[in-house]
Amino acid sequence: MLLLLQLPSARRMFKIMSNVSAHLATLKAHFKIIFTYRGMMLIQSVRLILLPLVLASAWLSIEKTAGNPYSDADYLLYYLMVPIILNLTDSRLVFRFPMAVRDGSLSRELLKPFPPLSGYALESIANNLIQLVYLLPFTMLAGYAVKDRLLLGHINMQLLLLVFIAVILGGLVRMLISGSISLVGFWLEDVTTLNLVLNGGIWALLGGMIVPVATFPDQIRKFAELLPYRYMLSFPIEIITGRLSTAEIWHGFSIIVFWACIFGLIMRLIWKRGLKVYSAYGG
Amino acid sequence: MVVNVRQPAIIFKLWKASIMQALEYRASFAFSILANFFDFIFGLLQYLVFFTAAQSIAGWSSEQMLVLYGVFMLIFALQFIFLYPNLVSMGDMVNSGNLDLLLTKPVNAQLLLSFRRISLEELGSMATATALLIWLVINGTINITPMTFILFPLAMLSSMLLVYCLFLMLMSMAVLLERLDNMAQLMWSLFALCRYPVDVYPSRLRFMFFSFMPIAYVSSVPASALLGNASVSQVISGIIIALTATIACTLFWRRTIRAYTSAGG
Repeated sequence: MLLLLQLPSARRMFKIMSNVSAHLATLKAHFKIIFTYRGMMLIQSVRLILLPLVLASAWLSIEKTAGNPYSDADYLLYYLMVPIILNLTDSRLVFRFPMAVRDGSLSRELLKPFPPLSGYALESIANNLIQLVYLLPFTMLAGYAVKDRLLLGHINMQLLLLVFIAVILGGLVRMLISGSISLVGFWLEDVTTLNLVLNGGIWALLGGMIVPVATFPDQIRKFAELLPYRYMLSFPIEIITGRLSTAEIWHGFSIIVFWACIFGLIMRLIWKRGLKVYSAYGG
Repeated sequence: MVVNVRQPAIIFKLWKASIMQALEYRASFAFSILANFFDFIFGLLQYLVFFTAAQSIAGWSSEQMLVLYGVFMLIFALQFIFLYPNLVSMGDMVNSGNLDLLLTKPVNAQLLLSFRRISLEELGSMATATALLIWLVINGTINITPMTFILFPLAMLSSMLLVYCLFLMLMSMAVLLERLDNMAQLMWSLFALCRYPVDVYPSRLRFMFFSFMPIAYVSSVPASALLGNASVSQVISGIIIALTATIACTLFWRRTIRAYTSAGG
């Protein structure tokens, strides 16, 4: 998607092909760079898994409101999956890009015959994939500890395929949203507050981190289902729990694609405007 | 440990310097205060959202959870103001070799490294947390009795000592591992364990949280003390554990510094 965004109109085929191979080579390079800092991955895994475990304990000890559809097994499976989905859909663009504007490395990147945004996006993807390797053992350990209380019988290949698509689309929307926020860095020196509200805060509240979206009271749930945040975390996990009908899943997919288009356009627009005002400081 | 008047005076001078430094970038300073304020609001909203699908959590009602949140934020803000900036700078210090320079100064190294810097960005959260707690007193959720005046300060003291122990352990780890970029973030996420009352955990974990890994005393016990649910023995054992841990961590820190062979150059 990012690749398509930065290629205006149709160009010759070989140009695209060489672009694809450049992207693959960059991805590979990022894999190698990130792999050098393995130690940090372990600490990061502990961080990712800690809050979901706390929340799972909290949800298992609550007195539920009437009409809450989740059982203990649902909550366990849900919060076991949270770190994985959270990690896969995460995007570092919003930290990476403003930093590149501030320290001036963006100027250098702009001179290269390779779109800088794709570079940062690939770095983020490589990071998430390597992080997954370090996260899975922790998840399996936690899953093993509660294995008697998990219900996994309904999971099949078709379900996993849908989850896979949902994660890719959710990751894409998250990347486009945090990308749009980070590009505001052309004008504002500090986008952390903006990111905290638009990307972090609302996401934590209505995306399914603190409360699984399916267990909200109806009105809040319907509102949350229209916002893009649910699709970055709760939606893929809801598919895994097997509580969504096929129609609901396709409805969800159509909403994600809608948001992806909106934020894709916004990001493209900001990028074009921003490059014009960018005056390259630092060195 | 030689503590005389000169040492606190040095720390105050350093604080003044770091405040002046922060005020040099006024816009960034204002932004951080704003960000921290939003952080507090979102934390509060999280509890409100949580209670849309829950009635009570491990026996804590939504109002009692607000007391816990107020106490939690108070402690979090305090550690952010006094300890966090020092932990962040520790990573560089070991990498760049500046630690050696500091160790040679004729001031207690532990004191200097623990309280060298101060960050006022969380003052907003601290004020808001205090306001929240005062509102809860007026509201009647918190019943102030003479016992509260004794138990709550004691519980807060042990809480702060325990947070300092965690900080000191992470500082020692920074020296031992020589590379520590996200230790500060690790401290941050360990605080997640204190966001919910310790009663939510399974009994074996709870036992651990009251003994070897005493996170129960960080937020749950001070909050119970405010609510009048904490027993005297609980608070006293908290103080004993906190003091023991402080002594143990200080000894560990000294050993680490003795074994330190200088990195970087």
